Amino acid sequence: MIITFLQRLLWMLALVAMQMLVFNHIHLLGYATPLMSIYLLLLFPLGTKRWTILLWGFVCGLLVDMVSLTLGVCTSAMTLAAFIQPPLLKAIEPQNAAEDMQASFHTLGFWTYVRYAAVMITVFMVTYFLVQAFTFFHLKDIALDFVGSWLLTLVLCLALEATRSRKSSQHAA
Amino acid sequence: MQSLLDFLAKYYHWLLFLVLEGISFVLLFQFNHYHNSVWLTTANTVVGQVSAWEQEAIRFVHLGEVNAALTERNLQLEQQNAMMQEQLLELTHDSTFTEQYLADVLTDVHMIRGKVVTNSITHRDNYITIDLGEADGVKPEMGVVSGTGIVGIVYMTSAHYSIVMPLLNSKSRISCRLHGTRYFGYLKWDGTDPLYATLDDIPRHARFNVGDVVETSGFSAVFPAGLFVGKVAAIENSDDGLSYQLRIHLGTDIARLQDISILTESFYEEQHQLEQKADSLQQ
Repeated sequence: MIITFLQRLLWMLALVAMQMLVFNHIHLLGYATPLMSIYLLLLFPLGTKRWTILLWGFVCGLLVDMVSLTLGVCTSAMTLAAFIQPPLLKAIEPQNAAEDMQASFHTLGFWTYVRYAAVMITVFMVTYFLVQAFTFFHLKDIALDFVGSWLLTLVLCLALEATRSRKSSQHAA
Repeated sequence: MQSLLDFLAKYYHWLLFLVLEGISFVLLFQFNHYHNSVWLTTANTVVGQVSAWEQEAIRFVHLGEVNAALTERNLQLEQQNAMMQEQLLELTHDSTFTEQYLADVLTDVHMIRGKVVTNSITHRDNYITIDLGEADGVKPEMGVVSGTGIVGIVYMTSAHYSIVMPLLNSKSRISCRLHGTRYFGYLKWDGTDPLYATLDDIPRHARFNVGDVVETSGFSAVFPAGLFVGKVAAIENSDDGLSYQLRIHLGTDIARLQDISILTESFYEEQHQLEQKADSLQQ
């Protein structure tokens, strides 16, 4: 349990650091900025207590906000995404899945994982950009921000997941 | 209590979610000036709108009281307006030709001023009740006039009230003449239009025009000569073709009559007594 906790803590700190040092400086075409903290929530396996996921999401979002000077924006989005993660994973779990199945290309299959990640990123991003803009007057800009960042985040999450899955496979072998 | 605990145990994640989202938004509004100002502006707008709705609802609930107060105030103002109009009329009263004419004619005549109590113009034989009676010196067959011309003759009296037979009565016959001539006839009402009467027996050789003034002839003990009656509105032939029948536009609108005067000059009484004596000698 402690190892699991430390692994998650390590993931969280790494993602926050990467967000602060790298991702916050990416503005592809002036719109696309990856928000990789969502990847932490994709890692939680089936059967995880919901309060655990909620607290992890809240704390991770708070740390991202602190380093990005957007207090409350990422926190609220991560909390909402953490709230829907367990029922979403439960809904797409394959038959005969382990009780503590962790979502990955290997356990879910590539496309199912893509759908899972896409839904999580969508919920997170919609909340994030709406809370950040806090207005409906510039919907076009908000939509462009959302689409660009959503695509970039999804691609990076899939790349990260591919790397992690390969390392896990190698480690298991 | 146990049910509440069971409920919280089952749905604790909802509670935790709401608490964490609440904290997120507190942080958002606390540390972001833009969100804070938008929040405050929106909150102010919402609170203002809700307050406006509340005030409208309160006003609606109190509309009955407001309506009653307005009605009372309206009545007060109407009374005040009527009083002021009356005062204004007295202060700015302009003597018309008719009134001046009457005033000249009645210079030496003693009059008692009174008011109309009841009035009618819809019957063939109309009567007017006035607030003057025997106690005021009123007697039957005294003439009644108003500021716009003659009205009629006192028909019956009681202690404090009298009934007047106005021009608008089929029994009324008043001797009248055309102003500036000596041609006279009898004024009677045909029972139709209360503003018009008929003057019969004007000879065919008489010369006059529409618009000429018709006045009392003085050939009776009731009215002195020269009291304004009306103006010639139309000229027609009588049924037998031997005389003219004039349609007279009456000076007095009996329907709107309010103030009257009764002519009480003593020589009328003297003349009346003399005529009665002559009649009795003939008999």
